[in-house]
Amino acid sequence: MATVNRLDPAQSELQPPSEQAREQLLIVEGVARSFGETKALVAADLAVATGEIHALIGENGSGKSTLIKILSGVIPPASGNLLWSGRAAKFSNPRDVQADGIATVFQETLVVPELSVRDNVYIGTDGLFRYGRRKRDEVTGASAAIRALGIDQLDLDRPAWTLSLAERQLVTIARAIVRPWRLLILDEGTSALDASQRDRVFDYLRSKRTEGKSVLFTSHRMDEVFDLADRITVLRMGRTVSSYPVGDASQHQVLVDMSGRESVEDLEAAAEHASDAGAGEGGLAHGAVLRVEDLVLRHGASPISLELRRGEILGVAGLEGQGQVEFVECLCALRRATSGRVLSIDNEGHGAAIHSYADANRHGIRYVPRDRRHEGMFAPLSVFDNFAMALWSKLNVFGVLKRNEAKRRYREYSDASHLVAGSKGRSVSTLSGGNQQKILLGRWVAMNPRTLVLNDPLRGVDVRTREDLYQYFRSLASNGIAIVFLSTEIIELLRLTERIAVFHEGHLHALLESKKATDTNVVAAMFGRDPEHHADA
Amino acid sequence: MAHTATTPDALAPPQATIDSVLRSAANWPNFSRAIPYLLVPCLFVFCVLTIPGYFNKSSILSLFILSSFLGLASLGQTMTVIAGGVDLSIAAVMGLAEIILTQRYAGGWPFWEICLALAGLAILIGSVNALSSVILHVHPLITSFGMSLVVGGIALEWSHGFTTGSAPSWLTSCVSPIGKTGPIPVPGIVVAWIVAAVLAIAFMRLTRIGREIYATGANPTAARLARVRSTWTLVAAFVISAMCASIAGVFFAGYSGIADSTVGQPYFFETITAVVIGGTSLLGGRGGYGRTAMGALIVAELTTLLVGLGFNESTQELVLGILIIVLASAYGRELRVSARI
Repeated sequence: MATVNRLDPAQSELQPPSEQAREQLLIVEGVARSFGETKALVAADLAVATGEIHALIGENGSGKSTLIKILSGVIPPASGNLLWSGRAAKFSNPRDVQADGIATVFQETLVVPELSVRDNVYIGTDGLFRYGRRKRDEVTGASAAIRALGIDQLDLDRPAWTLSLAERQLVTIARAIVRPWRLLILDEGTSALDASQRDRVFDYLRSKRTEGKSVLFTSHRMDEVFDLADRITVLRMGRTVSSYPVGDASQHQVLVDMSGRESVEDLEAAAEHASDAGAGEGGLAHGAVLRVEDLVLRHGASPISLELRRGEILGVAGLEGQGQVEFVECLCALRRATSGRVLSIDNEGHGAAIHSYADANRHGIRYVPRDRRHEGMFAPLSVFDNFAMALWSKLNVFGVLKRNEAKRRYREYSDASHLVAGSKGRSVSTLSGGNQQKILLGRWVAMNPRTLVLNDPLRGVDVRTREDLYQYFRSLASNGIAIVFLSTEIIELLRLTERIAVFHEGHLHALLESKKATDTNVVAAMFGRDPEHHADA
Repeated sequence: MAHTATTPDALAPPQATIDSVLRSAANWPNFSRAIPYLLVPCLFVFCVLTIPGYFNKSSILSLFILSSFLGLASLGQTMTVIAGGVDLSIAAVMGLAEIILTQRYAGGWPFWEICLALAGLAILIGSVNALSSVILHVHPLITSFGMSLVVGGIALEWSHGFTTGSAPSWLTSCVSPIGKTGPIPVPGIVVAWIVAAVLAIAFMRLTRIGREIYATGANPTAARLARVRSTWTLVAAFVISAMCASIAGVFFAGYSGIADSTVGQPYFFETITAVVIGGTSLLGGRGGYGRTAMGALIVAELTTLLVGLGFNESTQELVLGILIIVLASAYGRELRVSARI
């Protein structure tokens, strides 16, 4: 076991995070909670000071979400103490907790699709028979909150189902901040936002710090943690393993604490090795599998032409709403482009136009959606059912399932992808986000795809699982599968892909070669500026 | 503060106490799933203890016959509910099948030809229920309710002026406690129900369409993206539902012996009652026919019990209503998002 900095409150008082010691707003001591046999939290300690931005980090399954649910009054702790502004507090239900001034933005973007933006912002504040406030006040409050978060225009009467995922997430943040809050909890609350939106939300949070308001957030993005937080607390396997002011910690130290390993070098070395292996496969027939011809995503946008080769990982990037999502949806005909076409190229080089989603699937183009909960998972069903549901179209004799063959493929896949799912009969909704994603990916991998279209597949997935999946994607590519990989994380795109297609205002603004491109090149292209170099189309 | 260097195992109690089991929210769904299976024997023992002279072969077979009618009628309902719909036309289809059988049999048609005609009708009704729901983008609740009115109207029109009709005598013995099935000393409808139940459970577990019914009900959007044949799935569920309603209607003809378009009426809600009491969620995607079979037995036992104790029909409905609410709230406490790790 690695030596870790144990959290010692006495010590942290000796070394205050800033010049003067701050008053502690929230103190969590030895909180534990189990679900059946699973011990989600064993001994969680946490101290959030007034006016502090505090990052709570840990791998999936480390107990972050459980702790946040306890602090939000959603579930009670089994044991331990909670102190809220110096007094013992119960946190017995969400309403009381909100009244105390804790506002939570949960990982799931919970909006009511049929209600307007305004109603979604103020949902839950009304009594049964009377409105909590006048409509005029709601309009002012909601638009102020949304403007504070950096959206200049959002029609408050629009129904929530017309919003993009990012806009929905901003609505849930607005919902939290219209309440009189002293502590704002963001559980992966900015994961759907693109870089510029996230920065504006961060600016807002920083500005609130001077008013003595505190923020507790979780994130799987290390750059975000170091950019925003004043203090970091690390959870591992349900315990607080360390807590330090952000200036005292290196990214390396944090990774070591999270994973419990002596060092993260082995992780990085493994990733390096895999990428070398992938690059070494250059000899593999790099024929085209997919050709995009003069595809126009929106009226007035310039046409897009490019080719996707066997074994290639193509990155897709752009700020929110710039056409990159439309592009990947067009690739599998989930959306009809204004003009142009997508061709599937067979091994002899003949092209066949893709007209429908069924067509795309027939040609081995498989799509993994962005919104796991609403578009991917069958929540009430088991892990195995979720994995095998598409597979049954192949594995049946006159409609009767060939279960043994499916079980074999499941075992094969779970070994290859390092799936941690417990028993295969377990309900899929009890898995962590990363393992759910592996199941959804496996659904198509088991079908031997030619092209995988992945729409932001690593959203809300922890660092270790990410590394697993990077390696797994590379191994899929080295077996000749072409992968289209849409992501909001530039570092990820640079590490994993060969080329990055950057979208701006509905057209392909730049096609960058990942080896030569830098962070800055990609960001510049995202904002519509000319990058320094282009890859060949 | 728990800062001693204990391992996670040392902190855990050596064995889960009853107290911790009861307190644990995650264990509740496991227990609640067993409720219908426990309720069936408990209610039976209760019947035996409270109704004098109840424990004999004839009473027990009567109980099973009663359950078989409901069990057969709610077999297809289970599938439509799991697929995310609900079939409100079952009662009307039962009535129509009963009338067609008794009228045509009295008119001299051979029994099996009438059954063939009924099967064709069931395919038509089920397909229209499902396809109109898919094409018009309305919940099957609405299309099948419309169908219920149409079929009920036709049945009433057809039976108008005829008060006679007849059923084959062997069909009557199929639904009588003294009936036999070949060498087995059990009436035909009970044997038919058991066979149908085994087939239905196997169908839901072991066939592609069975699994796709679950997928469609669990998440229609994800089902479409995973290339599950949702439309075909819905058609299959509603056709099976109409078929089962017809079969129950045919058995009813043996029971009543004359044309009566109202035979199905109590089943309008009872099929849903059996499904819900068994623990199949009306939200779709979870449950199964084994549970509905238990639900049918529970409804039959409760009815027998209340009749045996001399309560009238309104009291029976009251008790069933309370049971639905109590059980539904017990099942409702399934693993929630909040309990996820």
